[in-house]
Amino acid sequence: MRSKTMTETLNCELDPLPLLGGSHETEFEKRRGVSHTELRDGFAQVHVTQLVGEVMPARLAVLQAVAQVQVSIDFLKLTPTGLSFLVPSDKAAVVETALAGTDAKFSVRRDRSIVMIHAVNIRDEEGLIALVMREAIAAGTTIDHVGDMHDRLLLVVSEADAVRLQSRLQARLDEESHAH
Amino acid sequence: MRIKVMKFGGTSVATAEARLRSAMRVISAKEQGFKPVVVVSAIGRKGAPYATDTLISLLREIDPDVEPEAREMDLMIACGEILSSVIFAHTLKTLGHAAQAFRGGQAGIRTDGIYGNARIVGINPSSLIRSVENGHIPVVCGFQGTFVDHPGAPGGELTTLGRGGSDTTGAALGAALKAEAVEIFTDVDGIKTADPDAVNHAPTLRKVTYDEVAEIAHLGAKVVHPRAAEIAMQYGIPLWVKNTFSDDEGTEIVSRENFPGRRVTGVTHTGKLVYLQFDLSGAGETDRTVLESRIYETMARYGVNLFMLDVSPSSTGFAVPRSQYAIVENVLDGLVIPVEGDPRRVYLFQIGLQASREVETQAKLLGLLGEVRRVPASLTEGCTMVSLVGHEYMQQSGLFLQVLSVLSENQISVLQVSDSDYSLSVLVTESERDRAVKLLHQRFGLDEVS
Repeated sequence: MRSKTMTETLNCELDPLPLLGGSHETEFEKRRGVSHTELRDGFAQVHVTQLVGEVMPARLAVLQAVAQVQVSIDFLKLTPTGLSFLVPSDKAAVVETALAGTDAKFSVRRDRSIVMIHAVNIRDEEGLIALVMREAIAAGTTIDHVGDMHDRLLLVVSEADAVRLQSRLQARLDEESHAH
Repeated sequence: MRIKVMKFGGTSVATAEARLRSAMRVISAKEQGFKPVVVVSAIGRKGAPYATDTLISLLREIDPDVEPEAREMDLMIACGEILSSVIFAHTLKTLGHAAQAFRGGQAGIRTDGIYGNARIVGINPSSLIRSVENGHIPVVCGFQGTFVDHPGAPGGELTTLGRGGSDTTGAALGAALKAEAVEIFTDVDGIKTADPDAVNHAPTLRKVTYDEVAEIAHLGAKVVHPRAAEIAMQYGIPLWVKNTFSDDEGTEIVSRENFPGRRVTGVTHTGKLVYLQFDLSGAGETDRTVLESRIYETMARYGVNLFMLDVSPSSTGFAVPRSQYAIVENVLDGLVIPVEGDPRRVYLFQIGLQASREVETQAKLLGLLGEVRRVPASLTEGCTMVSLVGHEYMQQSGLFLQVLSVLSENQISVLQVSDSDYSLSVLVTESERDRAVKLLHQRFGLDEVS
């Protein structure tokens, strides 16, 4: 393992890491690394903050209010004083009304998109999730939330950032494909 | 020819008795009119004299500070499967059935040149077909193949396939030989709705889709590797997981089209995790981007697997496998990031809210040169991820409410949550793992699934 020194860390210049795996897709196995990206838009993110009293029961009360209006939520995240989650844009108004009937302080950010970065066995490919995160951050994207599945990473971002991020990742993939 | 590929895992070939049971299954398939092609793993699991881990230790113990060459490591660990295939072939012979052992390369399995984690690039099954036509039962070493650098190169380089290698060998041979089925034999009845160590009455799933298997496997239940499931899915080969030691019918893995519908499939749990949350509130917006970027770049460079990612304007967090935590601590604790355009200001990473002596010394030295801003990371050791896996179920309204309520009612603290189209996961302390699995298993009616 590398031994870390102050001089080294101050001066380190790192070579770019590839998003694509070293070998091509074969008759039997998919190529390692990111294969393609995809966009899903039409979401709104609800942020609930400053819950009073015990946080978990207060969070449950919020989720109860949303469940009562039959809206399915995605990308739930627990925050120190509340929670945030994603709902389809066309349900945002219903959720706002439902939450207005509770004591919760909340805000809703519309125009959210999900950028899906497909990579076979992404959780098993050491460092790949971190690498995609690094690329997304380097693209200047403000990431609202992250999720993952066995074959993809999902980033919740604004619609404008989503298009930019997808283009950047695609450009990287094209560049690496040509280099191979 | 009605070919059936039968893959036997480590426990199915661990002892003479186990090998006899496995061999009888092969003979039974032959008597039913199939032409069996056998794939074997190394003999036994961790600790057994010829198990892969034991062979690795033989090299590592020479000098723990010197990393063995990947090429030599592949040659070493491939010995486990070679021993296993020869012993299994001879076992079949003693039972009156001609058999031939094959190394991966001899079976025509060609790979790329990545030692330790090779991918199959092609299979020429002619030697196996010839063996079958001559009345033999081929017994192929799982987990290995041959890399041929260029046409006409003498011999070939032995490579191993990495995680799930023997399952992958089985599925790929099934595809190359146009097998009627691929059967993965292990020491459990099939894919269970939960780890039997947590829920001892967990039923066996009779049918699951390739996607569900992949999600279950990645979230903790390593019964069949997703690489094998993918190959089987691509070639439309029926894939089964069965128990060598029981007559249970096992689990059939099928395509989504052949098993539609909404359901909860199971509850899984991962191994031990460490959760880190980096406090970036002391950094300006531009610096925050640099710091986050460096954290993820470093994790990528050192091959660290991340779970339960959590980003916010003032922090970033993730869980890492405990087995990789030492790497994280080594590369991040004390890492210094200079502030662009301001040579008198640096950020200093600190793992744990209490700084180590090394970090304190570094802070003092750097303090003589200018301003040092700490980036502390809070640390929660002893965590695990418990996941509810399902098919077309995760979009149900009220699902998070149900999961969090049942855990909260039973005083189980949830540190973080994450979800996807196929799963909903909660991060809990290890000590609460089995209770959380049991409660969710019961709450979602999995006790009666079949």
